[in-house]
Amino acid sequence: MKLIQVVTLLSAVAFFSSCTPEVPELQPGTFTLFFDNRIGDQEITLREAGSTAYDYTTEDGQSFNLSTLRYYLGKIVLTGPEGAYFEDEIAVDASGTRGYYLVNEAETTSSSIVLEGIPAGIYDAVQFIIGIDEDGIEQGAAGGILDPAEGAWFWNWNAGYIGLGIEGSAEDSGQEYVDWGGGFETLEGTFAYHIGGWKDVADNENFVNNIKTVSLPLGTTIEVQSDLAPTAHVVVDVLNLLDGVGVDFSTTYAVHSPREGMTIADGISDMFMVHHVHQSAASDSHE
Amino acid sequence: MNNRCRRQTVPAILSIVGLFPWLVACGPAEAPAPEVDPYAFAVPAHFPEPTYTLENNPVTEAGFNLGKALFFDANLSRDGSVSCNNCHQQAIAFADNPAHPTSVGVDNRLGSRNAPALNNLAFFPEFFWDGGVNHLDFVPINAIESPVEMDATLVEVVEYLSNSERYRTLFQEAFGITEITSPYMLYALSQFTVMMISAKSPYDEYVLGNTEALTPQEARGAVLFEENCSSCHAGVLQTDFSYRNNGLDDEFPDAGRANITEHPDDVGKFRVPSLRNVALTAPYMHNARFSSLEEVLDHYTRGMVYSATLDEAFINTRGQVKPMALSIEEREDIIAFLHTLTDRAFISNPIFRNND
Repeated sequence: MKLIQVVTLLSAVAFFSSCTPEVPELQPGTFTLFFDNRIGDQEITLREAGSTAYDYTTEDGQSFNLSTLRYYLGKIVLTGPEGAYFEDEIAVDASGTRGYYLVNEAETTSSSIVLEGIPAGIYDAVQFIIGIDEDGIEQGAAGGILDPAEGAWFWNWNAGYIGLGIEGSAEDSGQEYVDWGGGFETLEGTFAYHIGGWKDVADNENFVNNIKTVSLPLGTTIEVQSDLAPTAHVVVDVLNLLDGVGVDFSTTYAVHSPREGMTIADGISDMFMVHHVHQSAASDSHE
Repeated sequence: MNNRCRRQTVPAILSIVGLFPWLVACGPAEAPAPEVDPYAFAVPAHFPEPTYTLENNPVTEAGFNLGKALFFDANLSRDGSVSCNNCHQQAIAFADNPAHPTSVGVDNRLGSRNAPALNNLAFFPEFFWDGGVNHLDFVPINAIESPVEMDATLVEVVEYLSNSERYRTLFQEAFGITEITSPYMLYALSQFTVMMISAKSPYDEYVLGNTEALTPQEARGAVLFEENCSSCHAGVLQTDFSYRNNGLDDEFPDAGRANITEHPDDVGKFRVPSLRNVALTAPYMHNARFSSLEEVLDHYTRGMVYSATLDEAFINTRGQVKPMALSIEEREDIIAFLHTLTDRAFISNPIFRNND
């Protein structure tokens, strides 16, 4: 009893004495990351799988379309020139997933990630990872965007989430029709890039870790506090990825394992750039 | 998070009030007589720390019993014919029936590997013969979704459970949820399987200091085992959790660990299995090659074949296969020792029994 009372008293003293009432302090605010998925200067229109309407062309002249574009991102960190710092909290369990996000081109609402509780201050850079790294997956079964029964893309054979999924059709794709049975089929002329792989085991170089960290300067400074709600407009250019790694659909059309995914994973950070920022939500009229 | 320095008084009051229940709870001791809760997860004294994320998913009686209901429910499979228990039976340490050298799934489809015994899973860093799965929660997904095992999907399983009044009640009692989701289903199965702790064999008594626990022959076997086997079958869990090629074949229709790492150095390597309860879990090896412990010892003394990834322990200085040098008597002693890993308390523990 006695010890507990002392501890209580001490913690109460610490609590009050750490406050200096005369200095007004700015309150935390929100910051929004808006992910604008594009192919070069074109908007993305998702086609039915197997569609032969080719909307885009690589720099090597191969025409293609997209039927799926989705990626997980997480571990968002904001930093500022004078030491302002925010690290998005990670919490993964059956009740839900916090700190990792799914951007799915098929769901427009998934493009905006609103971060809350950001310490007031000046920020000029953002960093995040693409994929679900060991901190997320080693928590075990997860709810929300990581629940495989609710649409999470999860490999069970080599447990891990598919950090980046790009599917579509390409005129030059070498993919032939495959009937996998049980209602599963792969259509002719399609391509599927499923980029996963997170294992990074000490003393074992045989594993492939395709988790990539993306660090982006905002290009300017933004101020965060309780009555300001800035947004960073991040352009995600899939063509930069495909051209950057020199993708050839005639030979690269089925990427389904970590080692196969290494080349494409190496181009992930080239996809992202901060196009511009809006200092407050009031001025945020996107486009 | 960032509430170290707030001028508002509300959080301060809340934090003081918040301390009260704690103070009250620390009143004069009315400690109830200590009882052994059969549903409490307890680490045996001679075991390492568990790897399982108990902080996310602590074991409760309600969660355990839900896991048990799921474990024995064949309706988790596509056609209602296969439950977890089909291939994991308590009487043989949750291994598969010897009549099924490799697992048998829906429509009598044959798996390609021997279903392993289940014990001490809370202490395992990876699962399956190839170690592809890193967390116990994810293990049942493979069995549920494998076309040669239960051939269902997580979506179908969640739908089945959600349509069952009995399961809705069980999930509510276990987790306080009204909407059933797959991670809670996996949590329940993990609560059932983490409790499969095998730590009361004669070998355990011996390890804990009772030198009388083994007969003289078994004790000789223990020494021989230490000299010849324990570099891989290491420690109280009877495995070092590495992946090795033990010379079964020189061609590998099942690439084993290389299926996971996609690396040629790992072709033909499989997880060093725990030997706990090994006398009960025939047949042996990932492909059920051997039907008795005598055959296993035969293999290590004269049956191993060379291949590029054969484990160093089985290669001599001239680069040839190095069999174990064991006399007939020594082999018998080792087999006698292996029988001391059988844990009668574990295979007869009533908490795992199906009451339905």
